[in-house]
Amino acid sequence: MLSIKNLHASVEGNEILKGINLEVNPGEVHAIMGPNGSGKSTLANVLAGREEYEVTEGTVLYKGEDLLEMDVDERAHAGVFLAFQYPVEIPGVSMATFLKEAINANRRARGQEELSPVEMLKFIRNKTKLLGMDEQMLKRSLNEGFSGGEKKRNEMLQMALLEPSLAILDETDSGLDIDALRVVADSVNALRSPDRSFIIVTHYQRLLNYIVPDFVHVLFNGRIVKSGGKELALDLEERGYDWIKEENAVAG
Amino acid sequence: MPLPAEKASNRISEKINQAMPTAIASDNIGHFIELYEKTKAHSPALPSRLASLQNRAAAHLEAMRFPSRRDEDWKYTSVRRIVSQKWDLGQVAPLNLTQVESAAIEELEDIRFVFVNGQFVPALSTPSSQWPKGLTIKSLAEALEGQDAAWMSAKLEAHAQHDNPFVVMNTAFGQNGWYMEVQKGAIIEKPVHLMMFSTGEAAFVQFPQLWVHAQPGSEFSVMEHYLPKEENTPHFTCAVSCLRLEANARVHHYRLQRESEAAFQINYCEVEQERDSVYSSYATDLGGAIVRNNLNVLLEQSNTETHLNGIYLINGEQHVDNQTFMDHAVPHCNSNELYKGIVTGKARGVFNGKVLVRPDAQKTNAFQQNSTLLLSPDAVMDAKPQLEIFADDVRCSHGATIGQLDESAIFYLRTRGLPLKEARTLLQFAFLGEVTSNMPHEAVRTFVEKLVHDKLYNH
Ligand SMILES: Nc1ncnc2c1ncn2[C@@H]1O[C@H](COP(=O)(O)OP(=O)(O)O)[C@@H](O)[C@H]1O
Ligand SMILES: [Mg+2]
Repeated sequence: MLSIKNLHASVEGNEILKGINLEVNPGEVHAIMGPNGSGKSTLANVLAGREEYEVTEGTVLYKGEDLLEMDVDERAHAGVFLAFQYPVEIPGVSMATFLKEAINANRRARGQEELSPVEMLKFIRNKTKLLGMDEQMLKRSLNEGFSGGEKKRNEMLQMALLEPSLAILDETDSGLDIDALRVVADSVNALRSPDRSFIIVTHYQRLLNYIVPDFVHVLFNGRIVKSGGKELALDLEERGYDWIKEENAVAG
Repeated sequence: MPLPAEKASNRISEKINQAMPTAIASDNIGHFIELYEKTKAHSPALPSRLASLQNRAAAHLEAMRFPSRRDEDWKYTSVRRIVSQKWDLGQVAPLNLTQVESAAIEELEDIRFVFVNGQFVPALSTPSSQWPKGLTIKSLAEALEGQDAAWMSAKLEAHAQHDNPFVVMNTAFGQNGWYMEVQKGAIIEKPVHLMMFSTGEAAFVQFPQLWVHAQPGSEFSVMEHYLPKEENTPHFTCAVSCLRLEANARVHHYRLQRESEAAFQINYCEVEQERDSVYSSYATDLGGAIVRNNLNVLLEQSNTETHLNGIYLINGEQHVDNQTFMDHAVPHCNSNELYKGIVTGKARGVFNGKVLVRPDAQKTNAFQQNSTLLLSPDAVMDAKPQLEIFADDVRCSHGATIGQLDESAIFYLRTRGLPLKEARTLLQFAFLGEVTSNMPHEAVRTFVEKLVHDKLYNH
C-alpha cells in the first residue's frame, strides 16, 4: 500500500523529517506516536501533498506509484485521506455544498457517475446519522465556529463518505471526550477491511484501546526511533517519552 | 466636488494660450451638444416645462468640462476613453419575444420593461393592463404633469445645474425617463424588471432615467438589468435614478450590470429616505470596460434602515469604480454597507465609501465593509473608506481589506478531491456569497450566483 524510504523533508530550510522508513501493507493499522514537535504532522502533510514542505530526499510509493509526483487532489482521487489535526474553517462554503462537491469530484476522477441530488442527500444523511451528528450541521459553513469535537467528527464524516484506501488521522483523538473518542474509533473500525490501511497519529495511548493497531512506531526528532506491536503504546503510556528522548540523546 | 467658475475660466484661458488637451476636452463636450441639438431637431416636441429644463441642462453642459484625474472625485477613473468617442443615440433594432424570453430570469415573475439600444419597446414589455394594482408607471413627460411634479422638477433643476457633467447630460437628453409610483400601502410583489438590451454593430449612447416614488407603507422592487451585447462594439450608458421612500416604505433596488467588455457605464443614483423606511440596494458589476457608479443615500428622517450591497467581479482590463455616500442627517438611523469584489488580470477596482454623520445625527449606527480579493500581480484595487462623524453618541465602523485566497483552505479542499480550479472557484464564490445571500428574491439570487459562478469558472 505505502512504502516510505529515507524520506527527508524541510520547511523554510529547516529539516524536519530526517530519513523516515515505513512500510504499510493493505489492511494494516499503524499507530505513530511521539512527543510534540517530532514531525508527525509534517509526515502526514507531506503524504497529503502540502506544498510548504519540501521533500529533499527519499521516495514514497503508494500502490506502486510515486506518490510525491501526484497533485494533492490526485492523491485524494487515488484514495489517500488526511484527517487534519486542525481542520480549516471555510466561511461561506456550506457543509452540504462542500460534501457534494468533494464526493462528486472523486467520482468524476474515478470515472464514476455523479450522484443525483436525491442519492447524494440520502448518502450524506445516512452517514451523518451514523456519526451522531445533527443534520442541521449540513447547513453551516464548513468548520466555521465548530467546537473541537465537532471538527473532528466532521473529519470522520468526510472519511466515511470518501471511503479512502489509506486514511491518515492526525491526532484526531486529541482533546476529545470519551463519547467523541468512541465515534472516532467506530469510524475507523467500521471502515477496516483487508484492502484499506490506516496511519493513526496520536499522542495518547487511550485511542488504541478502541482501535487495535498492528504496529506502533515512535517518531522522534524526524526519525522513527522505535517500532513494535500494540504493547509499545502501553509502555509509552506508562513511562512517558523521556526515556525515548534520553536514549536518542545518547545515541545522537 | 463642484468645479468653481474660476477653474472653468482658467481652462478657457489655457485653451487660448496653448494647450491641446484642454481643447480636446471642450470639443468632447461639443460633441454631446451637437448630438443634443441634432436629437432635439428630430424629436417630437416635449411639454414646454420639460423642454426648457432640458435646454437649460444642455446650456449648462456646454459651459462645463469633463472631469480629469486631477479632480479628486475622479482620481482613479479616467473618462477620456468614453468622452473622446463620438456617440450617436441608439436606434431600435429588431428583437423578438424569444430573445427576450431566453434572457429572462428563470422562475422570476416580473413586470417587464424592455429597451433595445435605449429605446423602449412596448410590444415586448408587460402591457399596462397587467401592471399590478397600486403601481403607476408613466413616462417622464407625463409624470411631470402629475402630482409629483414639484419633487421631480426640483430634482431636475438641481441635476441640470449639477457639478457632475454626466448627470447634467442625462438630464438634458432625458431620453427614456420612466416614473414609477407605488401607492400608499401597496405591496407590489413582482419586481419591475428593466431589461436593457443592446444589439447591432453601431456604437451608441443611451440615457436611461428612473424615478421611483414609494408612498407610505408601500413595498416595491425594481431591477436595472444591463444585458451583454453580442457584438464587441462599444456603447455608453449614462444613467440616473432617483428614488424616494416615504414613511415606512420598503424598496429593494437591484442593479445587475453584465454588459460586454466593450461597454461603458456611468450610473448616478440618489435615494431619499423618510422616517421608518427601508432601502436595500444590490449592485452587481460583472461586465463593462469602464464603469462608474455613484450611489448617494440621504436620510431625511429618523429610524430608517439602509442596506447597500455590492459585488464586483472583474478581469482583463475592466475598470469598476463604486462611490457610495451615506448621509446621516438625522438621529436614530441605521446603515449597513457591504461591498465585496474579486479583481484579477489587469483589472482595476475602486471603492470610495463615504459615511457622513452630521452633528444632529445622534444614535446613528453606521457600518461599512469593503473586502477585495486581488488575484493577480497586475490587478489593482483602490479602497478608500471615509468616515466623517460630527455626532458623539454613535456606533460606526468601517473596514477595508484587500487579500488573497487562503492557501490552507485551498489545500484542505484539494485533499478532499477538489481540483485546484474548483477549490479556488468555490472559495471565491463563497467570498461573494456573503453579499449575494442578502438578495431577497430567490430567483434573482440564483440567477446572479449562476452568472458569478460562470464568470469565475470560465475565467
Ligand atoms: N509550516 C511550518 N513552518 C515552520 N516550521 C514548521 C512548520 N510546520 C512544522 N514546523 C516545525 O516542524 C517541527 C515538527 O512539527 P510537527 O510536524 O507539527 O510536529 P508534531 O506533529 O509531531 O507535533 C516543529 O519544530 C515545528 O515547529
Ligand atoms: Mg502534530
